[in-house]
Amino acid sequence: MNREKVVFSFFMILALTLNFGFFAGSVDNPEHHNVYELYAVVIVNLIATILKFGDRSQMGAMLLATSLVALVQLLSASLVWAVAVHVNETGLTPNTMATIVSLSGGAMVANIISVVLLIIETAMMRH
Amino acid sequence: MSVVTSIILRQMRAPFIILIMGYSIAILGMVLTPGIDDQGNEWHMSIFDAIYFVSYTATTIGFGEIPYPLSSAQRMWALVTIYVTVTSWFYALGKTLSLIQDPTFREALTKNTFSRNLKKINESFILICGFGETGTALAHALTERNIRAVIIERDNDKLQTLPLADFPVFVPGIQGDARDPEQLIRAGLQHKKCAAIIAVTASDETNLKIAISSKLLNPKICVICRSELRDFEENMFSFGTDFVINPFQTFANIFAMAMHSPSLHLLYDWLTGVPNTSLTNPVYIQEGHWIICGFGRFGQSLYKQLIRYETPVTIIDPSEAKREKFLNKPENKNNDFIIGSGFDAHTLKLAGVEEAAGLISGSDNDSNNLSIIMTARELNPELFTVARQNKKANEKLFIATHANILMQPSEIIARKIRTLLNSPLMIAFLNKARHQDPEWANIAISRLSGVLGEERPNIWTISVTKKEAKALHLTLNLGRVIRVGNLLQDPRARENSLKSVALLLKRNNKLLLMPTDDIAIKADDQILYCGTPVAERSMKWTLNDIHSLNYIMTYEDTPDSFVWRKLHSYIKRNDRRRRPRAQRHLDHSKKH
Repeated sequence: MNREKVVFSFFMILALTLNFGFFAGSVDNPEHHNVYELYAVVIVNLIATILKFGDRSQMGAMLLATSLVALVQLLSASLVWAVAVHVNETGLTPNTMATIVSLSGGAMVANIISVVLLIIETAMMRH
Repeated sequence: MSVVTSIILRQMRAPFIILIMGYSIAILGMVLTPGIDDQGNEWHMSIFDAIYFVSYTATTIGFGEIPYPLSSAQRMWALVTIYVTVTSWFYALGKTLSLIQDPTFREALTKNTFSRNLKKINESFILICGFGETGTALAHALTERNIRAVIIERDNDKLQTLPLADFPVFVPGIQGDARDPEQLIRAGLQHKKCAAIIAVTASDETNLKIAISSKLLNPKICVICRSELRDFEENMFSFGTDFVINPFQTFANIFAMAMHSPSLHLLYDWLTGVPNTSLTNPVYIQEGHWIICGFGRFGQSLYKQLIRYETPVTIIDPSEAKREKFLNKPENKNNDFIIGSGFDAHTLKLAGVEEAAGLISGSDNDSNNLSIIMTARELNPELFTVARQNKKANEKLFIATHANILMQPSEIIARKIRTLLNSPLMIAFLNKARHQDPEWANIAISRLSGVLGEERPNIWTISVTKKEAKALHLTLNLGRVIRVGNLLQDPRARENSLKSVALLLKRNNKLLLMPTDDIAIKADDQILYCGTPVAERSMKWTLNDIHSLNYIMTYEDTPDSFVWRKLHSYIKRNDRRRRPRAQRHLDHSKKH
């Protein structure tokens, strides 16, 4: 067992599961989406991205790209949140909430691709 | 992704992760810890506030406790925040610094810089393998002629001297073993602007390997090799190495030239030396009995040249085996072979140093050579001495012995390669000159010194092609006759002549030595000139600038711009109308 692989896969799958946790629920209802969960998703995604740094293989490049996409989506979601609550002080209207959740939904797609790639790579290792 | 970025990213993974962990824990703690607002109610920082607070705390900016003064619980957590985040920053910075100092990283960085520099070169360059004495001398000679050079050297210490050497053009260098084809390619062997490769490492075997790799990997380029052993030399030629230079053979040839035709030797020295240095005086080598100390590659090459002119020779060498071999050959029966080293007076006296005309100290040990010269000089102050100097560092010592001729292998190779690369026609000239009688050389010398004065001339070749001599080519195509002598006129004042002499004219593989002024130039001719740098510049001016050429040939100066051209032709038309018919007819015929 390769410890590096365990850590690597752990963070990638955690990024996906947390992302799903935040995404699940009614799209415009702030009650269904926890800010701390978004925070955790961002942190875990950041770590997953950094773990993918410096791998020169084609697969490594794809994994890094998906992580970067997820990160961009999640950071825009947090930015929307921060602007709505702290700058405009309009609070989490259904409209804002829908934007945040759909952005995180995009990130989730990227995370799914990431995990699928990981599984493919692992499956290929068998041979 | 380049190797360098890849290394940076991989090495910085851990510090980044630690930073993110530290920040996320600190931010989370800050959000969860209760505080009190200005109304005395319980208050929690939002994530946004916490990120703001932790960011300025971690970077030690410290804006203070905003928006409300922190509660004790929050202050406690702030302490944790400070220690955790500031330490992670220190760790990250330390890691960055150690990465910069890491030898692997530095190597990757220099290689990266080298390939970037190599990619940027867009003029033809010459790849020099080996940055020893010869390589350094060559790099200087090439860059002074504005030829780009690239260096590959195995020894990193030697390569470190590269940035200190003061080259007029930037010379990129890479550390690598030239025997490895991969490294040669990295050094630019297959670069489309690589014109030649010069193998001047100390080992013949390495040079041979370089020659093979070059011929296989890039057959177009010119390969020049240094070789000191016959076997390697033949091997190198066998697969098409363009030039193989044996310093001992080369020196022996020059020595023979100096011995039998001093003026030809002087001519050779003037034309192949470093330009713009002062001229040397001719060397007169006495005929008579010669002694050779050290019968290695150097001694043998010189011996062959000496016996060609039936000079009596005595050899001193410590090797018994060499003596056996020497005495067994019938052509050596007139000459003596004494066993000994030569630096003791006894052996030298035995060899007849007191009556000898000259002595060659040619062992591969500099201390022995110095000692031989000094002992021999004491026994016979009139002796003509030739010393072989193996190490550049000993130059001062050898100069102090006042040996009449100093033989430095690296200098000889550098001179030969410089001549080869600067002006290929020069080799043809020297080969042809060698077969002329001494009288011819005397005339050539007096002509050169009359025109050039006291300095070694610059050598340049002009090719009468559209690309290199635009104006001249154009004018010749119009059917006008321009002679060799015309080009020697000064384009600033045509009655003055440039300080320059035409040495050789090449036309369809025919060579004409010292072409006289009245020979008409034809398109695609190549002419070798020597002269002052000013003369070279002026001549290039004449070749490419139609106005200068017109001026020299006393042709009419034609205006360039549109308005002037119109005005000019208008004036000319009027002018012609006013002149009588006969004159007009003359004008007309002249034009065709």
